[in-house]
Amino acid sequence: MSNTDTLIIKGTEDGRRVESRVLEERIQSALAEGCRSIEVHAFGQHGIGGRLTAAEAAPVQIDIYGYAGQRVGSMGFAGTRINLHGQASDDVGWLNAGATIVVHGDATNGVANAMAQGSIFIAGDIGSRGMTMTKSNPRFCPPELWVLGGAGDSFAEFMAGGVAVVCGFESQYRGNILGHRPCVGMVGGKIFFRGRQENFSSADARLVKISDEDWQWLCAGMQKFLEAIGRRDVLKTLTAERAAWKLLKALEPFERTGRKHMPLARFRTEVWDRELGEGGLIGDLTAIERSPVPVITTGELRRFVPVWENHKYLPPCQAGCPTGIPVQQRWELIRNGELDRAAALALEHTPFPATVCGYLCPNLCMQNCTRTRERLPAIDVTVLGRSSRNAAVPTPAPAIRNRVAIIGSGPAGLSVAWQLWMKGHEVEVFDHSERPGGKIASVIPESRFPREVFEEELQRVLRTVAFAQLKDTLNPERFAEIRDSHAFTVIATGADKARTLSIPGAERALDALDFLRKAKLGRAKAGARVVIIGAGNVGCDAATEAHRLGARDITLIDIRRPASFGKERAEAEKAGARFLWPLTPTAIGKKGVETQEGTFLEADTVIVAIGDVPDLAFLPGDIAVRNGYIGVNEQFQTTDARVYAVGDSVRPGLITEAIAAGKTVAAAIDARARGLEQTFDRLPALDPDRVKLAYYSPELRPGDDPAACAATCASCGGCRDCGLCVTICPQQAISRNDLPAGGYEYAVDPDRCIGCGFCAGACPCGIWALKENDPIE
Amino acid sequence: MEPVGHMHPSTLSPTDHLWQVVWDRGRCTLCGRCTAVCPVRALELRVCRSRALNLSPGLVEKPSNTYGAYHAVHCSTEIERACVGCGMCGLVCPNDAIAPVRSAEIDRLRFHNNQGGEPRRRGGRRNDTTGILDRIKFVRISMLTDPALDAGRHEFEIRTLLGRVLPPEQAVAAATEQGWIPPVREIYPLIIGGMSFGALSPTMWEGLQMGVAYLNEELGMPVRICTGEGGCPPRLLRSRFLKYVILQIASGYFGWDEIIHALPHMKEDPCAVEIKYGQGAKPGDGGLLMWYKVNKLIAAIRGVPTGVSLPSPPTHQTKYSIEESVAKMIQSISMAWGFRVPVYPKISATTTSLAVLNNLARNPYAAGLAIDGEDGGTGAAYNVSMNHMGHPIASNVRDAYLNLVKIGKQNEIPIFAGGGAGKNGNLAANAAALIMLGASGVQTGKYIMQAAAGCVGTESDRCNICNIGLCPKGITSQDARLYRRIDPEQVAQRLVDVYLSFDSELKKILAPLGRSTSLPIGMADALGIDDYQAAQRLQIRHVV
Repeated sequence: MSNTDTLIIKGTEDGRRVESRVLEERIQSALAEGCRSIEVHAFGQHGIGGRLTAAEAAPVQIDIYGYAGQRVGSMGFAGTRINLHGQASDDVGWLNAGATIVVHGDATNGVANAMAQGSIFIAGDIGSRGMTMTKSNPRFCPPELWVLGGAGDSFAEFMAGGVAVVCGFESQYRGNILGHRPCVGMVGGKIFFRGRQENFSSADARLVKISDEDWQWLCAGMQKFLEAIGRRDVLKTLTAERAAWKLLKALEPFERTGRKHMPLARFRTEVWDRELGEGGLIGDLTAIERSPVPVITTGELRRFVPVWENHKYLPPCQAGCPTGIPVQQRWELIRNGELDRAAALALEHTPFPATVCGYLCPNLCMQNCTRTRERLPAIDVTVLGRSSRNAAVPTPAPAIRNRVAIIGSGPAGLSVAWQLWMKGHEVEVFDHSERPGGKIASVIPESRFPREVFEEELQRVLRTVAFAQLKDTLNPERFAEIRDSHAFTVIATGADKARTLSIPGAERALDALDFLRKAKLGRAKAGARVVIIGAGNVGCDAATEAHRLGARDITLIDIRRPASFGKERAEAEKAGARFLWPLTPTAIGKKGVETQEGTFLEADTVIVAIGDVPDLAFLPGDIAVRNGYIGVNEQFQTTDARVYAVGDSVRPGLITEAIAAGKTVAAAIDARARGLEQTFDRLPALDPDRVKLAYYSPELRPGDDPAACAATCASCGGCRDCGLCVTICPQQAISRNDLPAGGYEYAVDPDRCIGCGFCAGACPCGIWALKENDPIE
Repeated sequence: MEPVGHMHPSTLSPTDHLWQVVWDRGRCTLCGRCTAVCPVRALELRVCRSRALNLSPGLVEKPSNTYGAYHAVHCSTEIERACVGCGMCGLVCPNDAIAPVRSAEIDRLRFHNNQGGEPRRRGGRRNDTTGILDRIKFVRISMLTDPALDAGRHEFEIRTLLGRVLPPEQAVAAATEQGWIPPVREIYPLIIGGMSFGALSPTMWEGLQMGVAYLNEELGMPVRICTGEGGCPPRLLRSRFLKYVILQIASGYFGWDEIIHALPHMKEDPCAVEIKYGQGAKPGDGGLLMWYKVNKLIAAIRGVPTGVSLPSPPTHQTKYSIEESVAKMIQSISMAWGFRVPVYPKISATTTSLAVLNNLARNPYAAGLAIDGEDGGTGAAYNVSMNHMGHPIASNVRDAYLNLVKIGKQNEIPIFAGGGAGKNGNLAANAAALIMLGASGVQTGKYIMQAAAGCVGTESDRCNICNIGLCPKGITSQDARLYRRIDPEQVAQRLVDVYLSFDSELKKILAPLGRSTSLPIGMADALGIDDYQAAQRLQIRHVV
């Protein structure tokens, strides 16, 4: 048999179908023997014409008649040419790698599935999933599928290469020529088609213009295709009109920008706002701007704003001082080198800065000093107080015709007198004692303070006011006389009537005030063993004095925990006094004090210090008395509007409280005399948490040098002009401005400030506060 | 820091707190952004001391100290300023110098955040990362057995029905006799659950509504959103977008006068009306909008004074029983729109759900039942309600569905499930599981806030300050300074992203079941779980 002869291989043998495997073996062996043309009379055998490796060496022609099974020409080799003379079943040219397959009729599903090379020509329609999964390998020519009719659904799914041409000629498909939704997942290749096509996967492919080159390729190829299927008769029809053709191309990667839909910004303006109205959903309900803002904002969009609260709060020291002495301001003056002014400033508030602030006061200012919150030593205000000993006396205000009588020359009375003198009033001080100065002068032991300091300060006051010693005991008539001859009268008679014990032998005991008074005058005596009933501060003073007078065994007893504190207590303890409690005295005998608890305390001297009450025998009936003291309102006014009362006659208290009361009364009288409204509001105290003590060194112990003390003052609530806020502000939003009227302020530029609060966090004095911005409504 | 010597029972050290801020001095530029952005003012600039000992070799010279001070960013240990872990400080920090870190051990703060006798209230979620939904797997994967579909290639029409579906014989009868046929909406099965105008900021609310409109009009996805209980802006009521909206009526009746006034001007009927009886996050408790958030705008829409807390009663007053409540309210609301709008109740998941469901089954006007499980979120609630009250949604919805099957009405009354879908990010899987357990659709809220607006809340008690109006993302704030951080357009865009990706994921689950047009409602044979007891309880496969 010659190589040019055509071998006929039959699909049936003895009336029985030859198995696909056997038919395949027969074709392969014929080719191996050199046969190059085979005619297969198929009877449903699959895969005919595929895998013909021999075709690589020399072309092979396979003609199929009868009933071809599936996968004609699958895995076809280049050099293979298959002519199927009739209808084709599924998957013609599956995985075709080079064969030319011509179907002279229709083909069913899956034509050219996964084809990578070669050509498939179909003379009719094809079923669904044609040209799917096709590839294109740069080493070979791209695969081609030519269909004279139309294609079924899902055409060209996942097509990755090659060209499909669907001519739409005499197709049995009535609808789309490429079926329903072609090109899903298509990533490569192109599809020429002619006829109606309503949809394709626009996410994967797009229609492009057919270029001249495309058209030439199509016309040339068309001729070959039509020749192959024997339909040269329709060449003219199919190539007559370029406009009848369309070309689909897989999208290039750069064209795959996602779904093409209206951008939301456009949707908002053209759809949303158009339907709802300007401003959208709530444009009719609010005018508040709603456009986006950054997370970090300035101006009115800040959530928090810093506020420079200079002197908006009292420093804790000043707030803690009953007299309200501007302690911090004085340290500031010292820091600024104005020592004299600092000393003089105190005199505006108290006539006894050296005696009281310097020695006698428990110094509530220091107890409230912010520094103590971190165990830093409070700034020693006694240094400051003592510095006022020789301070310049203030110049009084121009005189005003207003006569004021002050009965009592203790710290309370002299405080009123001093203040009213400064305010220009005529003041007359009455006292039945020959020595003005009240308890400081006559009762408090001199171990507690230098006598000459007090004398100097006392003279400073007495130089300014008229002092009159009362000849007789004060009685209601004499009081009425004084009251009637003055515009205002201030009672400052103190409390010097001793409370007495009602126990057997009480008469044997000394009254503490009397004892102290006599001790100061050098007229008191104390035995070696002294028992003091009542362990308060007066009891302590008595103990100290008793010790000075020679007592060596001093016991203070009390029925409850002793109320004594401070310097008085310390002095008594230094004198070796014992404190015993609870002990209730039941009798005072020759040898000592008996107690309910059974303890007997031997004593040569017994002193009673259980408190003192005012002697109010002189008080007329129209001035009310409450619990043994004169009844007053907040401004120390009695039930007689022209009469005020201060000091221990109103309530027992500290010297500074008596001085404070005097200040208040003087302000009240001054305001009334001038017909002015007087307010007594004090600023609230600064929250000490706002003060930053970390700036101060814990090692520094300022001692008693005023300048060193001043340097350690934290200047709570009062700007010390350090400029740290300007420096720390990360936005350079803070500036220091001189004020036209003198002074300065720190100000914030809202357009720079972001409300971080660094100024408040860093400010050593607690001036800056970060506040919530006003709500936007 | 406490002043020396002052300590009280609620004095907490930094490590007693749940969130601690770690600050790196070396990286910090002291730019002030972190303190400016901190929603609760936990952060502040602080002055610190420094000290160095000066020691010469061999101690030849007398040792000395050098004292100084420096500035630090400090996190307050005060209870009312405790760090909430939102992480905004880290977001704005240019140098990655600061970030909150969650305490590894149980915090001490929880023992003290009841100062003044007021128990902790917060927004957010249950603070529990576990949940049965995440454990459910889809074990039926058809490959060669059923015609499996390709999620990427095939066309899907994912829709569900909201409304009462008549059984065929009744439907035919109603059609032939021209009787009343209950309204039924064909909608997307993932519904944005009720989050009120007020609970959410105006920008957030508008963003969600805009996104829903876009999904409907540009992408053809019939997504629906529920208003929550806070009224509805009048413009929306009078717009065509109303058809995408489910109006909610709850026991506070906020803003319903505006809805009534708008009735004659409505271009479209709303999608449906939801009557809220309960909320999964805080069952047994009513809605709560805390005073911080009731500003002029919110007050106007709700018809209340400004600056007052707005608690809704836990029950509808004047409605004293299921019979009365359901019958009266469903009928009245249906009447308002001429029986053209589906009306259904929403309850919190509870062991008594079936009683409600059976009642609804007998009521021809009931359009469905929404059940909200314990993992739902809320804008404000008592901590105890959120953490310890409520019922998981999975078994509740399963019981409800099987109950319908028992009475033969599983195709007639849709059940909508909510509360925890997507709480760990697995929205599509959770939603599909709920659907296969028997839900016709799923409601979601938290997931949307997180995905569409960047809510920073987590199940680990992060942030959770929705209640006090300080939402650092502006999602739940009524302060323009905060809510202007949100651009409604971007929220809308993210919502679109969420729905498109959800749709793709749902298809990936449905495709192997061969479903492309009908939801596998109640198709529990496709579900499996590795827990035997859970499998028994849910009547799904036990797979190990």
